[in-house]
Amino acid sequence: MTHPAAASQAATPPALQAIGISKAFLSGKLHTQVLENFSLRIEAGELTLISGPSGCGKSTLLAILSGLQKVDSGRVLALGSELGQLDLSALEHFRLQHTGFVFQGFNLFPALSAFEQVELPLNHMGLSRDEARARARRSLEEVGMAPRMKLRPSELSGGEKQRVAIARALAKEPELLFADEPTSALDSVNGQMIIDILHRIAHMHGTTVLCVSHDPRVVVHADRVLAMEDGRILSDRRTHVPTNDSKGT
Amino acid sequence: MVALARKTLVYEWRRFLPAMLAVGFAGLLQLLQLALVLGIFGSTSVYITGSSADVWIGYPGTQNVGSGRTIDPDVESRILMDPAVQRVEPYIWVDGDWRGPHETGGISVFVSGIDPGPGGLMFSKALLPSLRARLAEPDAVIVDRSVLDQLGVDIGETATINGHQVTVVGISSGLRALGGVNVLTSLSTARQLDGDPSDTGPTYLVAKLRDPKQADAVAARLRGDTAFGPYTTWSARDFARISVRYWMFDTGAGAGVLFLAGIVFLVGAVITSQTLIAAVNGSMREYATLNALGVGVAALRRVVLEQAFWVGALGLLGAGVLGIVLMLLAHSQDVPVVLNLPAALACVALVMGLATVSGLAAMRSLRRADPATLLR
Ligand SMILES: Nc1ncnc2c1ncn2[C@@H]1O[C@H](COP(=O)(O)OP(=O)(O)OP(=O)(O)O)[C@@H](O)[C@H]1O
Ligand SMILES: [Mg+2]
Repeated sequence: MTHPAAASQAATPPALQAIGISKAFLSGKLHTQVLENFSLRIEAGELTLISGPSGCGKSTLLAILSGLQKVDSGRVLALGSELGQLDLSALEHFRLQHTGFVFQGFNLFPALSAFEQVELPLNHMGLSRDEARARARRSLEEVGMAPRMKLRPSELSGGEKQRVAIARALAKEPELLFADEPTSALDSVNGQMIIDILHRIAHMHGTTVLCVSHDPRVVVHADRVLAMEDGRILSDRRTHVPTNDSKGT
Repeated sequence: MVALARKTLVYEWRRFLPAMLAVGFAGLLQLLQLALVLGIFGSTSVYITGSSADVWIGYPGTQNVGSGRTIDPDVESRILMDPAVQRVEPYIWVDGDWRGPHETGGISVFVSGIDPGPGGLMFSKALLPSLRARLAEPDAVIVDRSVLDQLGVDIGETATINGHQVTVVGISSGLRALGGVNVLTSLSTARQLDGDPSDTGPTYLVAKLRDPKQADAVAARLRGDTAFGPYTTWSARDFARISVRYWMFDTGAGAGVLFLAGIVFLVGAVITSQTLIAAVNGSMREYATLNALGVGVAALRRVVLEQAFWVGALGLLGAGVLGIVLMLLAHSQDVPVVLNLPAALACVALVMGLATVSGLAAMRSLRRADPATLLR
């Protein structure tokens, strides 16, 4: 695979790396080979976008890179750990420490206020109560939801719910943030706001953001756009030169 | 810690209400069944629990108060020789055939011949002293309020027992019997009612001790002496227990109770677990999201189990309140209901066991909280 920045990448280790992975689904008699001998590097601190037609394997790739799904063959390295060698509880621990998720559905608990939604996962990270609350407040402020943090999901708009979901992922201060179609349930204004937030997270916190979307507005903000089709990368381009380090093109 | 289990339970109480109702009604059903059975069969030992005797002396192998045989009257002096014994009195049981003044047909009655004197032990807790004293008149009997219609008499009226004329001089309450009707009379009247000339001694001797706490030791000490013919001794508590156990198990009532308890548990568990599973399924995507964020399945299971616990506790509370109201109602209607601590604890255990089983079943459905399904 050719890459504009191939020369300098040998020096900085990638945040995520897939090496010759294959993944197939067998439902009944139907055998679907989604990925075959697929390799990919995702650089740290960038907003990387994966786009492509429906059913080409984007979500499957995301699930594999984030440790939610096992590969049939090949290796997946995330932050230097080989995910295939971790058992279920070790994978849970890895996700707890290092990853955040934003899904198309917001998946918020109806009974909890925005603040509690964000605080809940932090309780399981071994943080003190005060630290958890301070982090929850900070990340809600960051997505502009601080004034509405006492409200329950039923009292929030779709865009506000997605911002709470992002704050929930963000408060964990993860190195890796995965987002699958985060804007597709939202109108253009709210979608734009979500994109801005994801962009900011990558550049201000140095978080590696991997986002699946066919929203053309995301393309503009992404550092790198991967076009995928039938389980292969068709094109791989950088939309603008990274400004936060000295990597050349 | 964000109290996810409790907050969800409070906010979405409608979803958990069926589970609470199922648990509550299962508990209530079990409670009332037990109370009724204890009440009915407890009445079979009212002769013992309604009296102040500490030790009972009767024919060996007697399984309940109603099936005693006469013992040698000289045993009384043997019992009195024991320094721990303060008082001994005979108790005569006679099975009789009651013919009332009105057309009621023959009714089988259990005649209790007791010492009506002021220090008498038999039924001292069940009858007021003034009422007991009226039995001193010849041929006087006391019958229970609950059987007046059945016997076809009222106070002051006469009837015959085993062909012998008796007069109703008083009315007691709470002296129901199983399989017949209790009639109280004096020792001398009871002897006259007994048609069997071979019955020379009393059916039982009952003794009061100087120190009631020694009942077991004294009963054991008095046992095993055969110089006066066959007899054995029980502490009052043991004899009451034997009597109730006889009715519970030898009549199949106990098996019925256990059988119904099993059914109640099964039905309750099915309904409760189904509603809990539905509630868990309703939050499945949220649980899966938490798992994606690294919250372990074990922690999610604890949430479900905690919800099951609260469902059980709230169901129990409802059952308790309703149960007390219904028990009071039953008491006011002379329905024999009794609840003791072990029975209440058995109900609590049943309900919490039911909630736990349901919680475990609901926990299993958490396996479908696979975060990969959120990525499609
Ligand atoms: N659990 C599964 N069982 C069987 N087949 C599956 C499963 N998950 C995905 N697939 C198949 O794998 C292929 C890729 O699915 P994937 O969800 O990765 O597509 P996608 O690129 O995310 O599409 P979309 O843009 O519509 O979300 C599809 O053909 C799908 O039918
Ligand atoms: Mg998808």
